Amino acid sequence: MNDLEELKNLLFGAEKQVLDSITERVQKPETRAVDVADVLPEAVRLSHRQGQQLVATLRAPVSQCLQESIRDEPKEYADALYPVMGPAIRKAIMNALRSFAQQINETIEHSLSAKGLQWRFDAWRAGVPFGEYVVQRTLLYRVEQAYLISRENGLLVGHVHHDAARIKDSDAVSAMFTAIQDFIKESFSPDRSGRLETADMGEFTLWAVHGPHALLVCVIRGVPPRSLRADLSAILERIHFRYGDRIRDYAGDTSTLPGVEEELVECLQFEALHTSDPGKRRSSVPLIVGSLLIVAALTYFAFNSWQATKQQQALVTALETTPGLYVSGIERDGDRYIVRGLRDPLAEPVDAIVAGAGLTSDQVVADLRPYQSLDPEIVFLRARKAIDAPGSVSVSQSKGVMILSGTAPQEWIDSVRQKAAVANLGLAIDLDGLAPAADLPPQSATQPESQPGSQPQPQLQLRQRLQEDVAKSGDAQFLFASGVILREQDAGRLRDHAVTVRRLVGSAEALGTGLRIEVVGRTDGTGSPAANMHLAERRADVAVQSLLAQGIDPILITRSTQIDAGEFNAPDAELRRVSVRLIWPLHGDALPPPAE
Amino acid sequence: MSHFSSKICVLGDFAVGKTSTIERFVNNQFSEKYLTTIGVKVDTKEITLADDLTLKLVVWDVAGTHTFGDVEFAYLRGASGHILVADGTRPDSVITALELRKQVEDRYGELPFVFLVNKSDLTQAWEITDEQEKALRSELADVYITSAKTGDHVAEAIERLGRMIAAREFQ
Repeated sequence: MNDLEELKNLLFGAEKQVLDSITERVQKPETRAVDVADVLPEAVRLSHRQGQQLVATLRAPVSQCLQESIRDEPKEYADALYPVMGPAIRKAIMNALRSFAQQINETIEHSLSAKGLQWRFDAWRAGVPFGEYVVQRTLLYRVEQAYLISRENGLLVGHVHHDAARIKDSDAVSAMFTAIQDFIKESFSPDRSGRLETADMGEFTLWAVHGPHALLVCVIRGVPPRSLRADLSAILERIHFRYGDRIRDYAGDTSTLPGVEEELVECLQFEALHTSDPGKRRSSVPLIVGSLLIVAALTYFAFNSWQATKQQQALVTALETTPGLYVSGIERDGDRYIVRGLRDPLAEPVDAIVAGAGLTSDQVVADLRPYQSLDPEIVFLRARKAIDAPGSVSVSQSKGVMILSGTAPQEWIDSVRQKAAVANLGLAIDLDGLAPAADLPPQSATQPESQPGSQPQPQLQLRQRLQEDVAKSGDAQFLFASGVILREQDAGRLRDHAVTVRRLVGSAEALGTGLRIEVVGRTDGTGSPAANMHLAERRADVAVQSLLAQGIDPILITRSTQIDAGEFNAPDAELRRVSVRLIWPLHGDALPPPAE
Repeated sequence: MSHFSSKICVLGDFAVGKTSTIERFVNNQFSEKYLTTIGVKVDTKEITLADDLTLKLVVWDVAGTHTFGDVEFAYLRGASGHILVADGTRPDSVITALELRKQVEDRYGELPFVFLVNKSDLTQAWEITDEQEKALRSELADVYITSAKTGDHVAEAIERLGRMIAAREFQ
C-alpha cells in the first residue's frame, strides 16, 4: 500500500468500504437477482397501478410462454382446464337443448294447424308425450344414447342418454351388443378383423366406433350426417387419451374412471330438420295469382247471384202487383225463370209484365192455368166486356161502381139493365149518365163526322164534357223507382189512367172524332246516351203496354223519348218518368160553341 | 356405497338347466317348458355383498355345448368367473362340465367358479352317487346340489361366486 492509498484509507476508509460492497453487489448476478426479487412484487404492483404499460410489455412474452407450454405439455393443461371446460360445455349443450325445445313448443303447442292436430293424434296413438313426438318429427337426427363398452369383457364403462330416451338395462344392452359383435366377427369375418359398425333398426341407427380398448356405441334417431362419425371418433380418442390404461384394465369398478360420462355427453348431438330453405323458397307469384283468380271468380259469382236475386225480386213484385194474376211459385232453371200459378184471361199478358220487370220474354216461361179473378180491375174489365158497350158510351169506374155515360140505343140500355139485375157482374152499374138514342142506329158512332154547327144538342154536351176531361187528365206523369220499375203508387195510377184514357177514347169515338195519345219516355241523362235512349224507350213501352191492355187501338198512340240532363248531371228522381199526354180535338175538329 | 360390475358365464352341457337356474336367480321364476338357448343370452342381477358394497353380475348364459368353438370362446373373453352346471340325472353332464372348465382354463387362465349339480328335485331319477359327489367335492372347492325348480342353493351358489370375484378383483 503506497502513501496515497494509505491517505485515502485515513480520509475515506468507511465510505470506500461501502462503495466496494455496492460494486460487488452490482457486479454479481446472484446478488442482483436477490435484490430484484425483494422489490419485484411491489414494483409490479406499483407499475400496474400507474398504467397499462406493464401489461402491454408482458403480453407478448407471456403469450409466447403459454403457447410453448401448451404445445409441450398438452395433457397437463387439458387436465387443469377440464374442471372448468366440462361443466361449461355441458351447460352450453343444455341451454341449446332447452332453447330448441322451447322454440318448438312455442311454435307447435299454440298452433292448431292441421299438421299440429295430426301430430297430437299420432302422439296420443303412440303413447308418447306430445312434446317428445314433436322433437322426434322435427329433428334431422339425434343421438339418443351413447354406450362406452370395454372391448375386453363387454362391461359397460359409461352410458349417457337424453331424458326422454327409453332405457332398458344398459349393462345387459352393452353385453348383448358385445355378444352380437363377437358372433358377427367370428361367423362372418375370416380373419376376425371385421367389425360391426352400423346397424339399422326401424327409426334407429346404431353406430359403433371402435377404439383400442373401448367401443363407443351410439343409438341415433333419424339420418345422421357422415361428419358425426368423425366427431364420435374424436370423442373416443379423447377418452382413450385421458384414461389410457385405466380403460384397458377396466374390470367393473367405475370409480377408476371418474368423469367419463361427462365426456360422453358430447356424443348427444342433434340437428333440427330444416323444412324450408329461404334461399330456395318457391316463388309466391303463382299463389298470389291463384288467390286473385279465386277472389275474382267468387266476386263474379256473387255479383251474378246478387243480380239474379234482384231480377227475381223485380219479377215477383211485377207479377204480384198485376191484377188477375196469382203466382204460386217461381223456380230458377239455369238462366230462365219458370212462373207457376193462375191467370185470368183478361189480365195483362205475361210478356208485358216481364218487359216491365226488365227481363226478356226468353228468360221467363209461364206455366199459368186460367182462372176467374176477383181483383176489382179484372171484375171491371169482365163487366165491361159483358155489357159490350157501343162506342158512343163512355165507361168508367168509381168506388166499385161502373159508370156509363153517353148515348146508346134504348134496346141496349134495357139489355144492360137486365144483365145488371139478373147476372152477377161483380159490381153495380150506374146508368144515369146514359141518354137513349132510339132514333140512331147502334153503330151511329162509326158514322162520318157531322158538320159543325149542325150538331145535335146532346153531342154538344158530350164534346164539352170530353174537352173538360181531356183538360183535366191531359198530361199525366208517372215516376219510376229504378230502371223500368214504376213506383208503387205510380203503377196504380197508370192503370187507373189507362182506364180513363180508354173511356175518353170511347167518348171521342162516340163523337166521331179522334183522340191522340202521346207517350214520352224520359231519363235523367246520367250514363251513356245509348243506354239512356234504350231505357227511355222501355219506359215508354211500360205506359204503351198498359194502354194496350185496356184495348186502346195502337194507331192512336205515338211513342217518343226525351233525355233530360238534370242539374250537375246527377241522378234526378223527377226525371225518371213517362208522360201520357192526350190531344183532343185534333186538327180539323171544331170546338163546340160556348153554351148559351 | 361402492358399485361394481362383473361378467360371469354360465357353462354346461345341453339341457342341464343353465337358463332355468339363471331365470330362478334373476327373476325367481321357473318354467317346465324347455327352450334351447341359441348363441348367448344376457341377464343382469345386482347382489349386495356388504352394507357398502354391491356387485352387478352381468350373466352370459352361453348355449349348451360339449366343447367350445371360436364363437363360444369369444363370449367367454373378459369373464371374471364361471358357473358350471351339470345335471344330477345325467352323470355324463358332470364330465362335460369338467372338460369345459379345463378348456376355459387353458384359454383364459384360472378364474373363480362354482359347480352346480342341478335338478335335485328329481330324486327318483338322480344318478349321482354319494361316492361320486364326495369325489367331486374333494376335487372342487365349491360344489352345490341345486334345483332351479325349487330354488334350492341357487342364490347361495351364485352369491358365493360373487364374493369370490369381489375378493379377487376389488379388494
